Amino acid sequence: MKLAYYPGCSLKGTSFEYEVSLLKILEAMGIEVKEIPDWNCCGASAAHSINHNLAIALPARNLAIAEKDGFESVLAPCAACSNRLKNADYELKRDDILKKKITNSLEMPYDSEMSINNMLEFLIGVVGKEKIKSMVKKPLAGLKVASYYGCLLVRPPKVMQFDDPENPVTMDELVSLTGAEPVDYSYKTECCGAINSLSKPDVVMALTGKVLYDAKNHGADVVVVACPLCHSNLDVRQKEIERKYEEKIGLPILFITELLGLSFGINPKDLAIDGHMVAADRVLKKIEELSK
Amino acid sequence: MKTVLNEQNRRNFVAQVESMLHDKLSKCYQCGKCSAGCPVNFEMDYTPNQIIKMTELGMEDTVLNSKTIWLCVSCNTCSTRCPKGFEVTGIMDVLREIAERKGITSKTEKEVQMFHEVFLDNVKSHGRIFELELVGKYKLKTKHLFRDMFLAPKMLEKGKLKMHGETISNLNQIAKIFKDFE
Ligand code: SF4
Ligand code: SF4
Repeated sequence: MKLAYYPGCSLKGTSFEYEVSLLKILEAMGIEVKEIPDWNCCGASAAHSINHNLAIALPARNLAIAEKDGFESVLAPCAACSNRLKNADYELKRDDILKKKITNSLEMPYDSEMSINNMLEFLIGVVGKEKIKSMVKKPLAGLKVASYYGCLLVRPPKVMQFDDPENPVTMDELVSLTGAEPVDYSYKTECCGAINSLSKPDVVMALTGKVLYDAKNHGADVVVVACPLCHSNLDVRQKEIERKYEEKIGLPILFITELLGLSFGINPKDLAIDGHMVAADRVLKKIEELSK
Repeated sequence: MKTVLNEQNRRNFVAQVESMLHDKLSKCYQCGKCSAGCPVNFEMDYTPNQIIKMTELGMEDTVLNSKTIWLCVSCNTCSTRCPKGFEVTGIMDVLREIAERKGITSKTEKEVQMFHEVFLDNVKSHGRIFELELVGKYKLKTKHLFRDMFLAPKMLEKGKLKMHGETISNLNQIAKIFKDFE
């Protein structure tokens, strides 16, 4: 199967760790993906917030290019990108008039025949649990991991068609495959404030703080995510949240691809784990001790 | 609160919203489930179910100038939980878009609005987001020059802030998309 890769802007910038680690684990598993040539920004939340048609047309260009190049499936690891790509595909399927306008503007046809996958969907559906399990060389037994899904992977369910929107389990299943212990806590699908990180930092810190303190109070050593926006809010803003609420958190935030990579025995440096704002040293040390 | 007396204006507004939304306002039976689960309800001036009712009543000025439409983070919790399957998140998008087209600048939440505008300008110029430029322009526009600046040194050290952005080759096609749909 010809697999397209849509990195999106965050993975080329503030969340480069996500790209480094995902390419590393795919390479380890012998899975080849190809970047969509000359891809453009999906418009993220800004486009759908103020211009519906632009929010469909921008992702549609990427989908049309991928389809023209004969790809059968698209991996969009950024939860916001996969959400926008799936949404564009959904709207183009239901709104013939808009579809005509957009394909005319792009001067490319689009037939909606590819499957669009977020990172978890890709790992479970395309790669498969058996394959992942066979790669685990260094089981993370004893490590307590809280999976944070946020909004964009699972909602709205009629468009995302992925997992249970109120109680998703896919990421927890991947955590179990590494040998680590999934932590049950209350805020796994609560919003982190996402897009308003720069424009409403206080609101974002209130929302993100709830997620972090709850995960910590349920005994998590680490939180895993599959979204660069979630990662930024949980990782980059964590110090400020500790200051605001005067209580230490100290929870490293890893991408699910990094956690898998560690269980495959890949060197943390090669997974760019040192790129996070909250140092993961303590967790890495715990993994070393547990594996002894 | 201004109530609406002109039935024709009310109908026009409802028709505009419903056609953009692909959904019917009368579906909502005001149970309040959407508002109960909304993560930012504590900051809003009107709850999501109030926004729906006020739109149905034709209170155009009030909803288009509300804080609520800009505070909504499009988390989709409301639409997912609505027992009637009403597009609650969608109505927030629609009302923001109408406000934007009418040139209404939010008095209290203009930073959120400006962020979306600067973001799209960045996409228009490069086809991709150049984060450093995005943040710089946003700060200039909002005059919050120093907010969040303390994060910059460490982000640079970690390699999170790239000094150069990428521009796509076929920028003409992006220009065309903006020309056709902006
Ligand atoms: S949950 Fe649905 S029916 Fe209930 S108030 Fe909200 S929109 Fe209306
Ligand atoms: S989509 Fe907006 S209105 Fe709905 S629950 Fe989320 S923040 Fe609230």
